[in-house]
Amino acid sequence: MANRATGELARREFVRRVIATGAGLATANLGLAGCGPKVAAGAGEDLGPIEKGLNLYLWSDYLADDTVPNFEKEFGVKVTVDTYESNEEMAAKLMAGASGYDLVLPSSYLFPVLFSKDLLAPLRRKYLTNWGNVAPLFLNPPWDPGNAHSVPWGWGTTGIAYRKDLVRERPDSWAVFFDERYRGKVTMLDDLRDVIGSFLRLRGRSLNSVDPAELAAAKQDALKAKPNLRAYVSAPVKAQLIAGDVWIAQMWSGDAQQAIAEQPAIEYLVPKEGGTIFSDALVMPRSAPHQRAAHEFLNYILRPPVAAAIADKTGYGTPNQAALPLTRAKVPYPTADELGRLEYQKDLGQGSEQWDRIWTEIKAA
Amino acid sequence: MNRRVPRWVVAAATVVYLFLHAPVVALVVFSFNDSKFSASWTGFTMEWYRRLLERDDILDGLRRSLVVGGIATVVATTFGTLLALALARHRMRGRQAVESLLYLPLVTPEIIVGISLLSLFVLAGIPLGLTSIVIAHIAFCISFVAVVVGARLKGMDEHLEEAAMMLGADEWAAFWKVTVPQLLPGIVAGALLAFTMSFDDYVITSFVSGSGSSTLPVVVYGMVRRNVEPSINAISTIIVVVTSLLIYLADRLQSARLAPAGR
Amino acid sequence: MSLRRRVLGWSAARPTRSGYALLAPGMIWLLLFFLAPIGLMLVYSVMKRGLYGGVEPGITLEHYRRFFDPLYLDILLRTILWSFVCTVLCLVIGYPVAYVVARAGRWRQWLLFLVVLPFWTSFLVRMFAMIFLLRDSGFINSVLLRAGLVHEPVALLYTPFAVMLGLVYGFLPLMILPIYASLEKLDVALLEAAEVLGATPRARFTRVIFPLSLPGVVAGSLLTFIPALGSFVTADLLGGAKQVMIGNLIQNQFTVARNWPFGSAAAFVLMGVVLVAVVGYLRRRDARELVG
Repeated sequence: MANRATGELARREFVRRVIATGAGLATANLGLAGCGPKVAAGAGEDLGPIEKGLNLYLWSDYLADDTVPNFEKEFGVKVTVDTYESNEEMAAKLMAGASGYDLVLPSSYLFPVLFSKDLLAPLRRKYLTNWGNVAPLFLNPPWDPGNAHSVPWGWGTTGIAYRKDLVRERPDSWAVFFDERYRGKVTMLDDLRDVIGSFLRLRGRSLNSVDPAELAAAKQDALKAKPNLRAYVSAPVKAQLIAGDVWIAQMWSGDAQQAIAEQPAIEYLVPKEGGTIFSDALVMPRSAPHQRAAHEFLNYILRPPVAAAIADKTGYGTPNQAALPLTRAKVPYPTADELGRLEYQKDLGQGSEQWDRIWTEIKAA
Repeated sequence: MNRRVPRWVVAAATVVYLFLHAPVVALVVFSFNDSKFSASWTGFTMEWYRRLLERDDILDGLRRSLVVGGIATVVATTFGTLLALALARHRMRGRQAVESLLYLPLVTPEIIVGISLLSLFVLAGIPLGLTSIVIAHIAFCISFVAVVVGARLKGMDEHLEEAAMMLGADEWAAFWKVTVPQLLPGIVAGALLAFTMSFDDYVITSFVSGSGSSTLPVVVYGMVRRNVEPSINAISTIIVVVTSLLIYLADRLQSARLAPAGR
Repeated sequence: MSLRRRVLGWSAARPTRSGYALLAPGMIWLLLFFLAPIGLMLVYSVMKRGLYGGVEPGITLEHYRRFFDPLYLDILLRTILWSFVCTVLCLVIGYPVAYVVARAGRWRQWLLFLVVLPFWTSFLVRMFAMIFLLRDSGFINSVLLRAGLVHEPVALLYTPFAVMLGLVYGFLPLMILPIYASLEKLDVALLEAAEVLGATPRARFTRVIFPLSLPGVVAGSLLTFIPALGSFVTADLLGGAKQVMIGNLIQNQFTVARNWPFGSAAAFVLMGVVLVAVVGYLRRRDARELVG
């Protein structure tokens, strides 16, 4: 983040001004300093009447069953939902330019990529009358200062889900993957950031490390754990944990909550060494054809009942503090202590080649 | 004719058919299972079929897949058959190059085809949507058709056509009356393959689709990756049943038409 | 002019122009929507990596150099071996099926349809059906346990066995269809002639049927071997992603590592290997046909 180009900084400054003038809401929370009073061109203009259509491009299964139908009924907008399975797929479409999408849902680490190509349109806060529902924790994130371009959607962590009826001790350390008693009964995610990242955390390092010595140590740990692992598997492990084929699995919190709903003997925790916290946010591409409808949708999902239904369906936490009491799981926001153990993933930049090589070595071993 | 097939070969083939169908049967059975994660049999339910009716995305995806698969199959089968005919029956310069180009799509990892096509469409300003998907599907289906039809053409008795022509048929009549009927099983096999490839393609489609053009595999992949919801099993069951019926009807029609000719 | 001369003359004199006309639509399509984009990728493979995906100006052979590293070459060799085994298995398993279908008389279309049928359901759904059969509390293990044949579930899922099973399952129809196509047109009179002349069933197969079905066998083998080389989903889902095939490596470069040039370079190395194999295979077969 520190080595952003100066053009980037100038743009950020521009963004801050937009927020300061356009929002008029919750500015105290934004923690902005030294904002000029100038009105940025275009950002303050009205968007005109609500359009008839809206094209969403989201991670699959990220909506509650009634989210879209209710919106369509209330606003008379025909909503089209397309889904993607990886940030890259989505980024490739956005960079292609001719996508036609109005709102997309990138993970936080993708923001520098989207900003580097100047793909995101600033949001008009005056249309977001429910903005005050967003918990302070999710305001002004480092990847999108002042939430100028994004509305937080959901948050989650990477941790360990386990069967408390089959596992004696609480596996509250990433070192559990070395434990030979569980050979063939443990899995890790099929995701290099989460696997290597957890072994970096085990040794007290940052999970965004690009230090060759730290990475070499993490690789050794990963290789040591590999014979114990049944597989590197992400979403499908849910069913096997429920069935008891797998006892301990590295998991994303949303998947874990969905599994717990089916099998109460499952428990989820973030190991004591800490792990990943991630947050997804809706953004609007500059090429979005239905910008007013997009704003209405953003404001709609900021309503507490709507946000709560989405959280219940996906298992992820809601950044909407007014919605939190309405959710089934009521996953509390991380405490300051917990936050100290959690880290956001950052884009690895030039370091990604090193990470990729290590991941290939682990897989090929 | 069955006399010619040794019993053990029939037995072996039966086992292979079981192998091909066991997973699909499991899929059909568990489309009626009363558990969302299908970990074990917990009871009979029609719930997933009921939910299917509420899922516009699946039905829309199915409709798009049929349209894309239909158009791509017709075009690719035509182009591919013509290609195979040209290669088998005509002498020409650059045959090696043509054959190489024909095999290339079979060699290329799908992800490369997908990403490279996306780059091309962007460069050429072709909007992403059903049109771009159809273009891509035709491109990768042509080769499959040409290879399958070519395999049948190779060594097919060319003299029959020549005989017909010497008996006074023009080239056109010889083609339709002699070549095509002889070639038909190859063409049908090629078309079936093309439709299958198109209907099943996820990787390439996911890259060249735009807003509102997600085909069934794109929708299903999303559902499957997050959670094996039995609605997917339900839609698969319906597809299997419907296609079985269609092919059965087609078969009946064909034999009815051929019967008077003394088949 | 003798009849034979006239026939040969007619065949040779057939206007090549109509040959090109037959070629044109398919070839133009492939040139525009296959070769042109691949050419674009070839250009990418010698350009500099864009930090956020894509490429940046500059020419370099660095990505090809990087591939020639024991780590990546091992993956390539392993992939070739796996694909070869998969092809042989498909041939051994698929040939009897193609034979039975081709000889099935009025049931032919129906049996052919049954070969293709499972492939109308999504590939991924079928993979998950496989997982459902293979896993510890899956169908196969519960049958084995109930029958008392084993006391502990057998580890089937996430093993090399499962990957091979999935590959064979996935590509079998690509083997069966072309073999069927060439067997189906096989002249029954030839077989009868061979029988009348006293050929044993074995000889009828090795001397008549198999050689005549060779074009289908070659087409089927290529249609199986080549996609097997590029496959990546099966190794992930059924092998528990504990092994990498070259397809996984390439896919990863485009999706996670965001290194398009290296992914392109790896893809072109793979394609080079495949082209060598294909050309070699076709040459050998042609030579054998000439000798036979």
